[in-house]
Amino acid sequence: MTSNYEIPAEETALPAAETAPARKEKGPKMRSGKKMKIVTKAVIYAVLAFYALVILFPFLIVIITSMKTWQDAVSSEFSWVPSMGFTAEGYKEVFTYKASPDSSLPSLVNGFFNTLLYVLPPTILGLFTSSLSAYAFSKLRFRAKKWMYSLLLGTMMIPGTIMIVPQYVIYDSIGWINTPLPLMIPGMFGAAACVFFMRQFYAGIPDSLIEASKLDGLGYFGIFFRIMVPLAVPALLAQGLLGFIGGYNDYLGPLLYLHEDHLYTLQVALNNIADTYERRSNVVMAASIVALVPMLIVYFFTQRFFISGIVASGLKD
Amino acid sequence: MEQEIAGTAAEGQEIGQVSAEFDAALSDGLLEKIPEKKPKRKKFDTEEIYGTLFAAIPLIGFCIFGLVPLILAFAMAFLDMGTGWDIGSAEWAGFKNFAYLFTTAADEVGISIFEAIGNTIILGISTFISQILALAVAYLLSRDIKGRGIWRIIYFIPYVCSVVAITIMWRYMFNPSYGIINQILGNTDIMNGAIDWTDDPGIFYVTINIISIWSGMGYGILLYTAALTNVNQSSLEAAEIDGAGPFTKFFRIVLPSISPTTFYLLIMGVIGMLQSFTVTNVFDSNGGPEKHGITIVFFMYQYLYDWQNVGVASAASWVLAALILAVTLIQFFGSRRWVKYDK
Repeated sequence: MTSNYEIPAEETALPAAETAPARKEKGPKMRSGKKMKIVTKAVIYAVLAFYALVILFPFLIVIITSMKTWQDAVSSEFSWVPSMGFTAEGYKEVFTYKASPDSSLPSLVNGFFNTLLYVLPPTILGLFTSSLSAYAFSKLRFRAKKWMYSLLLGTMMIPGTIMIVPQYVIYDSIGWINTPLPLMIPGMFGAAACVFFMRQFYAGIPDSLIEASKLDGLGYFGIFFRIMVPLAVPALLAQGLLGFIGGYNDYLGPLLYLHEDHLYTLQVALNNIADTYERRSNVVMAASIVALVPMLIVYFFTQRFFISGIVASGLKD
Repeated sequence: MEQEIAGTAAEGQEIGQVSAEFDAALSDGLLEKIPEKKPKRKKFDTEEIYGTLFAAIPLIGFCIFGLVPLILAFAMAFLDMGTGWDIGSAEWAGFKNFAYLFTTAADEVGISIFEAIGNTIILGISTFISQILALAVAYLLSRDIKGRGIWRIIYFIPYVCSVVAITIMWRYMFNPSYGIINQILGNTDIMNGAIDWTDDPGIFYVTINIISIWSGMGYGILLYTAALTNVNQSSLEAAEIDGAGPFTKFFRIVLPSISPTTFYLLIMGVIGMLQSFTVTNVFDSNGGPEKHGITIVFFMYQYLYDWQNVGVASAASWVLAALILAVTLIQFFGSRRWVKYDK
């Protein structure tokens, strides 16, 4: 356990007061006047610890398996210390396996870089456009505001899977199949949920600040970049992380639109490795760990923003 | 109009006089600034343009990548495009695709669309179970305990993990011959550890549900903990003085006051559940034992991709859309009875 576990303790989740409903400094909630009985407390800790174990146990099993020989990995008797000793064989395989011999990088590494390439630009650009739109909805006056906002909220209600079929046909007719464009371009226009969240945030910035900067000669872009964006960094980070995790873990999109090994994202590459090495579970588990670790690192370093962003977007809806 | 103009002019003069009287040094600046604020008309125009432009970006995106496909989705269910995705070869098909979906499709996929709906619902029972469990855990977390943040970080780990990796991990652990789960159950002599988690059609449902509960609880715990911190403490104390026990307090005060969160989780959970695909597709891309893993979206995917029959795939997405709409409406109208929003 790294020190990351320590930092968050009581304060973890709830972010800057603006992002989520303020958690008052009143200490633990739901607390009745008298102290809880020791037995009650012990039971609570036992349940919480058991659930934590349920969450962490699979990871432990998988990590151990990933360091076994394949014979040990599929042995009918699970061993905590494998009979043939620990080995990096599985990881070696993961970092050398190439689905097509002429590719320069191992499949999983290639998938990782593809994922970054496909996910980062739309996440960053989409964050910018969503937040610009949120700025307009929260601070600017224009006639169509009301119905445009209702329309935007309405689009959130449409389930994405309904559009899979026609989108595929459209992308096919404009030659976007087998390119990452269907995964990248739509997101660059921003996301309704992100606009919604950022609008709530911007609404909390006092109008007087904006009036003052107008008097100082800032234009609309100036106010946005010099006033709104700097104040919203935690909120933007939270939304950016949410967007990134969604893209990183997406499976159906890449599965539909990308049909060549060298284009695959990490998740699709991982699933292919799992099929290829069906009986060599040590390799499959090593591949899963390799695919999970980058996201887990991001999570542990940013969980404060992460959790607050999720709480805020869930509660405000 | 004339009166108004006269009024503002008079105001301007007045202010000028007052400020001049009170502070000669300030008067210059004030006089310059006050008239600057008045001619609003001109400023309003640039604001109108910028505001509309900025706000429109996501809507433009939606029109191109959402509205057009949406309209097309409805049209394509009535078109016969043969095999492949070429819209140029489309011919009017009437209700042929729907007839096909409800009859022949069952032979091609192996199960009918109705069975796929049934699978989706049975595989989605986890949505409700994980919501109840999440509330229970969140309630414990909201008690006077230490390390709340650390517990929450652990519980939220599955949410950030990819469904693909999680499914692969669990598939290994559920393996009937070498998986750890049967070994644990075997050691404790429950059913002698001989459960066929992956190939028995009935147990397959349970397996997938366990995976979904494990990975789905974190989100609910997070939202419920936040909601529970906002429960009104004074009404809880008042209830206690009136002699309410822990159960009465929970069901009469806590539960109603977090009902908006329950509703949000329920509606998002059910909408997500109806669109499930990844877990069963990764678990077994052929659809699992007796095709029990084929959900509605899986069904659509097969028609779009494996059979390359766009008309039938569109008809299936119609069924999905109707189902989601119906469930959402029922939940919205039903919610009036039990969801209490603070005024």
